[in-house]
Amino acid sequence: MTAAPRPLEGVKVLDLTWFGAGPIATRSLANLGADVVRVETGKRPDGLRIAGPKPAGNASLNVSGYYNNYNAEKRSITLDLTTERGHELGLGLVRWADVFMTNMTNRAVRQVGMSWEAVREANPGIVAMYQPMQGMAGPHTEFVGFGAVLSAICGVNYFAGSEGRPPIGVSTNYPDYVVNPMHAVVALLAALRHRRRTGQGQLIDMSQLESSVAALAAPVFAWDNAAEEYRRQGNRVPHAAPHGAYRTRAEGDRSDRWLVLACLTEGHWRAAADVMEHPGWADDPRFASLALRKQHEDALDALIEGWAAGQHGPEVAARLQSAGVPAGLVLNATEILRDEHLQARTYYAYPDHAEAGVRAYDGPGFRLSVTPVELRGPAPLLGEHTTEVATEILGLSPDEVAALVAEGVLA
Amino acid sequence: MPGALDDLRVIDATGPIGHYAGRLLADLGADVIKVEPLAGDPARLWPPFLPDTPEPESGLLFLLLNANKRGVRLDLADEQGREAFLRLVATADVLIESWSSQEADSLHLIDEALHEVRPDLIRCSVTGWGLDGPSAGLAYADIVTCAMSGVMQLAGFPDGTPEQLPALQSHACASINAAAGILAAVLHRDATGEGQRVEVSAQEALLMAQETAMQGADINGVDRARTGGTGVLPVKMPGLGVYEVDDGFVYAMCTGTAGSGFAGLVRLMTDLGFEHGLDREPYATFIRTSMTTAQVTALLQDPAQSDRVRPLLEEIEAVVSAFFRRYPKETLYVQGQERRALIGAVNGPREISESVQLVAREWFRSIDDAGRGQTLRYPGPPWRLHGTPATLRRPAPLLGEHNMEVFRESGLAPDAIAALTSDGTPAR
Repeated sequence: MTAAPRPLEGVKVLDLTWFGAGPIATRSLANLGADVVRVETGKRPDGLRIAGPKPAGNASLNVSGYYNNYNAEKRSITLDLTTERGHELGLGLVRWADVFMTNMTNRAVRQVGMSWEAVREANPGIVAMYQPMQGMAGPHTEFVGFGAVLSAICGVNYFAGSEGRPPIGVSTNYPDYVVNPMHAVVALLAALRHRRRTGQGQLIDMSQLESSVAALAAPVFAWDNAAEEYRRQGNRVPHAAPHGAYRTRAEGDRSDRWLVLACLTEGHWRAAADVMEHPGWADDPRFASLALRKQHEDALDALIEGWAAGQHGPEVAARLQSAGVPAGLVLNATEILRDEHLQARTYYAYPDHAEAGVRAYDGPGFRLSVTPVELRGPAPLLGEHTTEVATEILGLSPDEVAALVAEGVLA
Repeated sequence: MPGALDDLRVIDATGPIGHYAGRLLADLGADVIKVEPLAGDPARLWPPFLPDTPEPESGLLFLLLNANKRGVRLDLADEQGREAFLRLVATADVLIESWSSQEADSLHLIDEALHEVRPDLIRCSVTGWGLDGPSAGLAYADIVTCAMSGVMQLAGFPDGTPEQLPALQSHACASINAAAGILAAVLHRDATGEGQRVEVSAQEALLMAQETAMQGADINGVDRARTGGTGVLPVKMPGLGVYEVDDGFVYAMCTGTAGSGFAGLVRLMTDLGFEHGLDREPYATFIRTSMTTAQVTALLQDPAQSDRVRPLLEEIEAVVSAFFRRYPKETLYVQGQERRALIGAVNGPREISESVQLVAREWFRSIDDAGRGQTLRYPGPPWRLHGTPATLRRPAPLLGEHNMEVFRESGLAPDAIAALTSDGTPAR
């Protein structure tokens, strides 16, 4: 652990997020050194505290790997904002904060009295981000959903997978994990910079739909400007061939082993044909240019499928890479956790959590050479820092804290 | 109104993996100069193409990701090209590139050379695997990163292939992380005057997208596999997943505690006049007490309950499927959402382009692309910063469009500028 200062040391973040898209954004701010105070309640805990993965037979709200991964290094205060006293204390946290963030629905924001008007009145200089699914205004502003619902609306389901099969998407709440949280971080850092230069805070209205479409916009842009109908093509792309996943032979307990291969240039294709020990394929008139390979892609893929079926995946992936061809294996999470490249780069962090023990957490998605970005601690227990935050930030006495806990305000 | 970055100049020398990073910074107000090889960026030649526009000005992906940038072209392997590049870097706050360490070495564009011309430079490298570690030099492609970051393991049908993420998501995720890292470095430079290196590995940028797969492997030693979108239950959970509808598909998630849950779906059926029978026994009580995924999971794990529950679920699923098939997706989506039922239409490009919400919010913006003789409609920025709004100021540059303008700004003489493109094509 290095002692160098991180870029957001001293920045105070009030975190009213939950589930994925919001918490991952504020987690990233914490990894940059910000002091992130996450408001939760025992009455309605974050759904990810309830969901797993958890150790078998352990239903504690503090051991979900899903929750813990997205909340590392934050402080947790349990505070019921729907009570009058709780709301006053919440506004105290707003006054303390440089940044306010929520990804709750507009309706939930109203229920806890944390509208932009209320937040700005309490702290005119604050940077506040609201991240409801479809933005803070407009005819669909109250529409709700998790990342999987949004995936349908924003195009993931339509764009992914193969023609002739239902558009199941990519089997995750995809926009929640990188696109929406990291777009949020970009906006928050830009607004923080503006604040440091001018003293002015601002409102950021972040529609998760707009953010998601922005990252997936190519087919929409092509429709609007070229009337280009999108076709679902599985693992194919218009600009490369061969390009796909090809099953290789079983390895021990790994019967479902797939090689991926992408020939972006004529050189890649020629080299790949050599590695496949069919150099003649590169001279086959059907495959002599990208346009021809796209035209005869079914035949091309059938040849490669036939070849791959007899190969040892890791060995051919390495041979293709040695020849300069983009290739690799479809890895599962266990293989990734053990991957020597990621281990050499110490991507995963293993902080020790009081209840969950030493568990893997994702590292940051970017690295800085002078001001490190790194995860320095585990996720908080539910309400772990209630007393600490209430006394240090809100100025309550220990007796007041105890009384408010008993009343259900700090609970 | 000011942009948050309108005092910054960014040199964007990336290939397709990093285009979107420069675009994000440009949207925030930075002066972003795209530096391309003499022949142009490879994505200029990637289909689909803008109609009635010659190569290399028609590649739509290039147009999308390089709006708001000026553009120059030069040959970095040529001594004059390299010198002009360094002159340009000397005027810049940020350099984004996508060279491997070996490529940077061979171009003599290592940190020391750049530091000499611009000591406080923020240099961001966006590559497939990062700059060090045993895989650092591997050949990169979007699908390879998807595969090696675990997301393909999750996507697809059990009897089909693992599926890539659509629309080059490793590029998008790497670029978004690059923009975030650059901004963190800008904050540090603002405070201290010190530049630094920002490094993004596309593989690492995507690892978070494995959802719960990593934690499942770490905590329970269980790897997720592709399930065809049915989730983890051994039976089909009614009200959860993709449903075929009259004119396409919707995705429904009416089985949790958020929104109006399964009751909201039943209300939608009733309100649309669909005869469902789910308000009668044995369904009514079961739906009232047991129709969340968590409750059903618990029932199926109890051998005493499992046999009773399975046929009930199958009967309810038959009703739900018949209901969805009867109606068009827009009706199910809008009417469902108005009852707080978590239903999303499976939208394609046309529906997204015509989205009532996106249009009402004036999210798409049109810009006159004089160089290509067309007006282009662009999707908007991913956020709305009310104090420092994003702007769409210019279309993507023609190849080498700003050579004269940009290099004149950096103090190069006209004949030296002309020599940069001495492959025969005149500088503009």
